[in-house]
Amino acid sequence: MKKLLAVLLVIAMMMGLTACASDQSSKDTKTGSDSSTNQTTTSPSSTDQSGKDGAIDTSEHVVITYMVTGDKPSISATDEMMAELNKILTEKVNAELQIYYIGWTDYLSNYNLTLAQMDGSVDLVGTASDWLDAWPNSKNGAFMKLSEDMLKTYAPKTWESVSADHWELCKYDGDIYLIPEDNYAQWTNHGFIYRLDWAKEAGLANGVHSWEDMTTYFRYVKQAYPDIIPWDSDGTHHSQLASGWIASHSNFVAIDGIASGALWGGTKDDLYTIITPSYTETQMMVDFANLMKEWDSIGVWKTDVLNNTASSNRDDYRIGRVAAEQHHTQTWTDLVSKTNNNTIYQTDPDAASGFFYFGEETKNVVSLSITHGAMAISAASKNPERALMVYDLLRNDPECYRLFNYGIEGRQWELNEDGLRQQPASYNKDKDEIVTNFWWGRNDDLEIKDASRDWAAIDALYAEYDKIKIDYPYGQFVPNVDNIQSQINNINEVHTNYMKQIAFGKFQGTAEQIVAEYQAALKAAGIEEVTAELQRQFDELYKK
Amino acid sequence: MKRSKKMTLIQKVIKYKVLLLMCLPAIVFFFAFSYMPLPGIYVAFVKFNYGSGIFGSKFIGLKNFEFLFTSGKLFTLTRNTILYNVAFILLGNFFAVAVAILLNELRSKRFKKVSQTMMFLPYFISQVLVGILVYNILNYDSGFVNTVLTSLGLERWQPYSLANVWPPLLVLIYLWQQTGYNSIVYFAAIMGIDAETIEAARVDGANAFQKILYVILPSLKQTIVILLLFSLGGIVKGNFGLFYNIIGTNSLLYSTTDIIETFVYRATMSDFNFSTASAVGLYQSVIGFVIVMTVNFIVKKLEPDYSLF
Repeated sequence: MKKLLAVLLVIAMMMGLTACASDQSSKDTKTGSDSSTNQTTTSPSSTDQSGKDGAIDTSEHVVITYMVTGDKPSISATDEMMAELNKILTEKVNAELQIYYIGWTDYLSNYNLTLAQMDGSVDLVGTASDWLDAWPNSKNGAFMKLSEDMLKTYAPKTWESVSADHWELCKYDGDIYLIPEDNYAQWTNHGFIYRLDWAKEAGLANGVHSWEDMTTYFRYVKQAYPDIIPWDSDGTHHSQLASGWIASHSNFVAIDGIASGALWGGTKDDLYTIITPSYTETQMMVDFANLMKEWDSIGVWKTDVLNNTASSNRDDYRIGRVAAEQHHTQTWTDLVSKTNNNTIYQTDPDAASGFFYFGEETKNVVSLSITHGAMAISAASKNPERALMVYDLLRNDPECYRLFNYGIEGRQWELNEDGLRQQPASYNKDKDEIVTNFWWGRNDDLEIKDASRDWAAIDALYAEYDKIKIDYPYGQFVPNVDNIQSQINNINEVHTNYMKQIAFGKFQGTAEQIVAEYQAALKAAGIEEVTAELQRQFDELYKK
Repeated sequence: MKRSKKMTLIQKVIKYKVLLLMCLPAIVFFFAFSYMPLPGIYVAFVKFNYGSGIFGSKFIGLKNFEFLFTSGKLFTLTRNTILYNVAFILLGNFFAVAVAILLNELRSKRFKKVSQTMMFLPYFISQVLVGILVYNILNYDSGFVNTVLTSLGLERWQPYSLANVWPPLLVLIYLWQQTGYNSIVYFAAIMGIDAETIEAARVDGANAFQKILYVILPSLKQTIVILLLFSLGGIVKGNFGLFYNIIGTNSLLYSTTDIIETFVYRATMSDFNFSTASAVGLYQSVIGFVIVMTVNFIVKKLEPDYSLF
């Protein structure tokens, strides 16, 4: 019997091996043939650089799947819009587009899992270097290298519109992996959205402009409106609060995308010397811990904030059940506007929303990295050429662009007399809302301003930003973290665990103790080695 | 005996062909789902690249295991995991046996069915719902317990900030969810006890307690030992669903509630690394393997009949 078992086991292992190996070889040959077809199709078009459409073979009708974060809509309006869009796409490039949604619950793990399947089920992938693991996925081989020839041939308009500098920022190891959304004005610096009318009642005539003002505001709201939870946080804002505090009390400029906490960065005076304020600036962190403890005792958030997963703070803000929302400027542009969803402005004519942005005290604002939204092609895509052609249309063709982003004219949107975009009178969110979340190729040349937005307030804030902002300086820095990944994992873990307690004032003992404990744990997790290694790679890149 | 020893493999296969045929589905199942994926263990030793596949990726030795050891938390994590599992296994089996015996003693058939079903139901509630249920009972601002406490004029209780209350609470929740289901096996085993033995005991004048103590429990011994041995294999594998849904990412409670699974989940979420995750899985399997072999060895020395193999 033992012999039988042994034989079975050996067979099993062998089969497993051969199964994997044959997978492998078939994959190899496939990519091999892919690249050879690339060459054959690109060579004729490279001879006549004008890139005649006739040179591209689109005789086969293909379906391109676009993967996007967002909840799949339960109503059919999106499908109806897609049917319209697909008519145009079929006519122009003989392809149709399908949307594959990654729901918001655990979006990052589902997103990465779907990419890891590598079965060719998705083609276009919406990604981001700071919030959707664009670089790790590029390194792991989930995204396709996009050769210049490919881009020139299949996405010529996009290729032209993105400057060489910007393409440079989309490269890892010399190859382009991402197509940036670099022609769309938006601000995603974080802060607090609050009720300006209540702030004025609280004695802040000009609104909130510092963390201390915010304390006054919360204290007033808690007192004057006892039924309202000042801010129904779900316990996930610890990193934003901590980096917000640091931005407001220093001229620190964080590097995106290394760890969730954005612990590493330079300063505005000395961009290329890496510092870690949460580890070294003890007094700053102690002050932070004390203030947050105060907020906790005021009752800014629910007592069990760290287990409060069922909060819907933003929607509650729209209907006036909470007094603040912590998110970025782009969200404020929505909440400040008198749209149909924001019923606070209908029920209370005095209602108004202000925005206190982190870094306001020190005028420390960094503009968005161009890869905050970017499109990539899955490395397993069977039709990367056609996917690029579809993307080129979505991004640059006015008809496709507006259909895909705004919906069907007359149903989801119409132009008003000022030439702005508005919802038609017949629009009903429960029947007509479309979800495409195309945040990876919006284009200001084709945008029509949304009439429902409060442009006076928005433009004023944008102008203020433009005066003080600096450009994101580290776009080209894609660190190689292979040797420090285990330290980064542990630092991430330490930071998250301690910062949750610090940022929600939930620690036992004094602020000094918890900060000392936090910093000791960071040291033990290897923050100094990581800083040194990042600095070494920084020097290599910037001190050439 | 001598004859069977001389039988070749083929002769055996021919002789026991019907038995083997009956066994075939199980063999195929384990072959496909347990043995076929074995070579994939290799992923724990490479830097996995989606494009090159498991065997095409770069071999990096034990680097994937590194973060587990450098975190300095391995001891706490393994300790928490094992202690919780010991409590789950011992108390779980104790209550399962107790419930099975009590059910067996019930005379009213309808009451027996109803209570069995009631105890069985929690098993089918998803862990996510259990987490929400627990939160709604225990949370500080509007939880059931605190509403009762305040209306009685007592002070509120804040379990989500107290690490020490969770070990008993989690064990309680586990027992509530699993006992009914676990008791089924024991109940079936009791049903299988030779009615004549019980009859004989009664004739000898044994009362209900004596019957349980001297007839039923000894007959259950083997089932208990086998089930214990099986569950020991998973003693380093934590119940992720239970812990993650109830504790979530509340770092205040980690000192007593963080298990290997939840730690790994958080740590690898940041870089989505299959290799590290497999490394941890391998670590758990190896420890589980060692434990099962050791315990089985001890059982074999003491009571050869009760050992697994």
